[in-house]
Amino acid sequence: MRKATAISAGLHAAVLLWATLSFSGKTFDVTPAESLPVDLVSEKDFSQITKGVKDAPKVEMPKPMAEKKAEEPPKPVEEAKPKITEKKEVQAAKDSSPPEPQKAQPDPIAEKIKQQDDPKQTKLDQPLPPKKPPPKPQPKFEPDKIAALLDKRDPQRVAAAGPELNEASLGAVNGTAAQLSQSEIDALRARLKQCWNPPVGAADASKLYVVFRVLFKRDGTLQTNPVLVEAPPSQVGPVLAESAKRALLQCQPYTMLKPEHYDQWKDMQITFDPREMFGG
Amino acid sequence: MSHSEFSRANNSCSVTRRRLLTGAGALAVLGSRPASAVLKLDVTQGNVQPMPIALPDFVSGGQGEGDTGRNVTGVITNNLQRSGLFAPINPAAFIEKITNSDSVPRFPDWRAINAQALVTGRMTRQSDGRLKAEFRLWDVFAGTQLDGKQYFTTPDNWRRIAHIISDAVYERLTGEKGYFDSRIVFVDETGPKDRRVKRLAIMDQDGAGVRYLTRGDDLVLTPRFNPSTQEITYMSYGQGDPRVYLLNIETGQREIVGNFPGMTFAPRFSPDGQRVIMSLQQGGNANLFVMDLRSKQTTRLTDTPAIDTAPCYSPDGTRICFESDRGGSQQIYVMPAGGGAAQRISFGDGHHSTPVWSPRGDYIAFTGQARGNFAIGILKPDGSGERVLTEGFHNEGPTFAPNGRVLMFFRDVGQGPALFTIDITGRNEAKVPTPSYASDPAWSPLLS
Repeated sequence: MRKATAISAGLHAAVLLWATLSFSGKTFDVTPAESLPVDLVSEKDFSQITKGVKDAPKVEMPKPMAEKKAEEPPKPVEEAKPKITEKKEVQAAKDSSPPEPQKAQPDPIAEKIKQQDDPKQTKLDQPLPPKKPPPKPQPKFEPDKIAALLDKRDPQRVAAAGPELNEASLGAVNGTAAQLSQSEIDALRARLKQCWNPPVGAADASKLYVVFRVLFKRDGTLQTNPVLVEAPPSQVGPVLAESAKRALLQCQPYTMLKPEHYDQWKDMQITFDPREMFGG
Repeated sequence: MSHSEFSRANNSCSVTRRRLLTGAGALAVLGSRPASAVLKLDVTQGNVQPMPIALPDFVSGGQGEGDTGRNVTGVITNNLQRSGLFAPINPAAFIEKITNSDSVPRFPDWRAINAQALVTGRMTRQSDGRLKAEFRLWDVFAGTQLDGKQYFTTPDNWRRIAHIISDAVYERLTGEKGYFDSRIVFVDETGPKDRRVKRLAIMDQDGAGVRYLTRGDDLVLTPRFNPSTQEITYMSYGQGDPRVYLLNIETGQREIVGNFPGMTFAPRFSPDGQRVIMSLQQGGNANLFVMDLRSKQTTRLTDTPAIDTAPCYSPDGTRICFESDRGGSQQIYVMPAGGGAAQRISFGDGHHSTPVWSPRGDYIAFTGQARGNFAIGILKPDGSGERVLTEGFHNEGPTFAPNGRVLMFFRDVGQGPALFTIDITGRNEAKVPTPSYASDPAWSPLLS
């Protein structure tokens, strides 16, 4: 009993020792993963990048070639058709009177004498020997094209194979990815709203708005003074136009407009309409 | 007083009315460009806030006019600030010192302190003793002159000049007529509560230049301006029954309007100033009468067993609004100027009384009474758009500024009444300085 206990204790101790030694190996080193560059692309940007453009120029892509191409078929021989353009109109006999009776009657004896005198006439009557058909053109043996000769697949008539790739769906080089985003437009609108102090007199006018043409520089400042392009005639009109112009001039530069989209915001037509805010 | 507009400098970029009218043509020209190249944007909301305006002291064109220039600028600054539509900039912030009102200001200096408009001017004493006042209004961000005028007057009339310049600036920047060159007639109240002395008084709309029109022997109420002459009508408890009087402000001449058997009250002029409409009490009823001031002929307009009072003409003189309890409680009714069927227009909470038609015709102001509170409100002549502007223990007697944008009324919080102004939007409530307690204000039309 004691012996068994000792053996059991010894074995347990041995297992424990082995486990301690073998499992306490070197520590696990976690190799830091390299950080991946991630671009945050908004849903709108992504859809714009991948969006096709309706009016984009058609891009001619080289079509994938078929492995075997049929030989050029011989040109069909043009049938010699009679031209019908020169067809003469059948002229109705102008003269309805009966034809004149033949004056000279053929002489049968004279005919016979004539036949005997002409030797060609007799030759034509004999049958001719049958003609040899012309020899078929044999394909010329060219050692360079043995592989082609061994290829027993049916030749394909056209070169294109498989469906054509839709290039536009992958995003064109000049696609709309560089389009002014809605957030930029909203930021500009919010800025103008903050700056624009419409005159109180405008509250009385039911139909009143002004439209300005604004040309921007790349840095977001105005190129020239805003140009008034439209305004209904009104007593308050000039004051309203001045307030809008003041807002445009005062709040520059408009840094929320990104330079990479400059082509789209360099020329704007901005309508200032106070009707909504005065409850008109 | 003469004034003339002098040449505008550098106004090539300013927007003129003609330009607005030809705007459609300009659009057509620009429209020929490819439309796809232009990005369109609509701005439908703005930020209504007081416009920052710089008002440096008017320079002196001669000797000893420095004080006048400063005073004129002070009055203009006060007017514009009180309107609630302008925020005069503290002169300590000014970078450029204006020494010559004829030269173009350095706009970047004014942009730096965020001034949107700038008013420069000059006061000069002429050789004939008259005072010449010039001013120029500049758009700082556009860098253009918006307005420029000069006036000649007697030196003691400088305050009036300041009001006229304030009106010009106000009109040019807000697009509607000003109201600064106007006066207020009101009832001045002095003495203890049980022995109040009530006198008629007149002053500028900003509270300056108070002048008393009656001595205080009689109890006076409800003074009203004649829209076309320097005349007021009011009700006075003299000897016997209360009567409606006419008073010429300049001459002090006084006369009784009509000779009715009974009490007459709540008088008001017609828009042409030729007639006075009022209430005449007979027994327990009161009806409306109109009297032609030249022919002294009176016409009865209502005949009801109720109290019809506080009549007021519409600005075009075709209709009359008044207060009546014919429906059980005091409400506002509108009827044709010649009498006839009256239509109730007030249906809001509580009572509605003392209706006043706006000079613009778009609103009728009233005193509302509900749940123990008195409120000043407005509603449209068809009864829609009722809106309370201010509410409290006691507010009463609204009167419109000549441009219909501001209301004046009196408020009594316990001790005694005082005058207040409020914008018809309900903003910018301000107390009007008066020498003592004041009630029953009436705003004059523009003096010029």
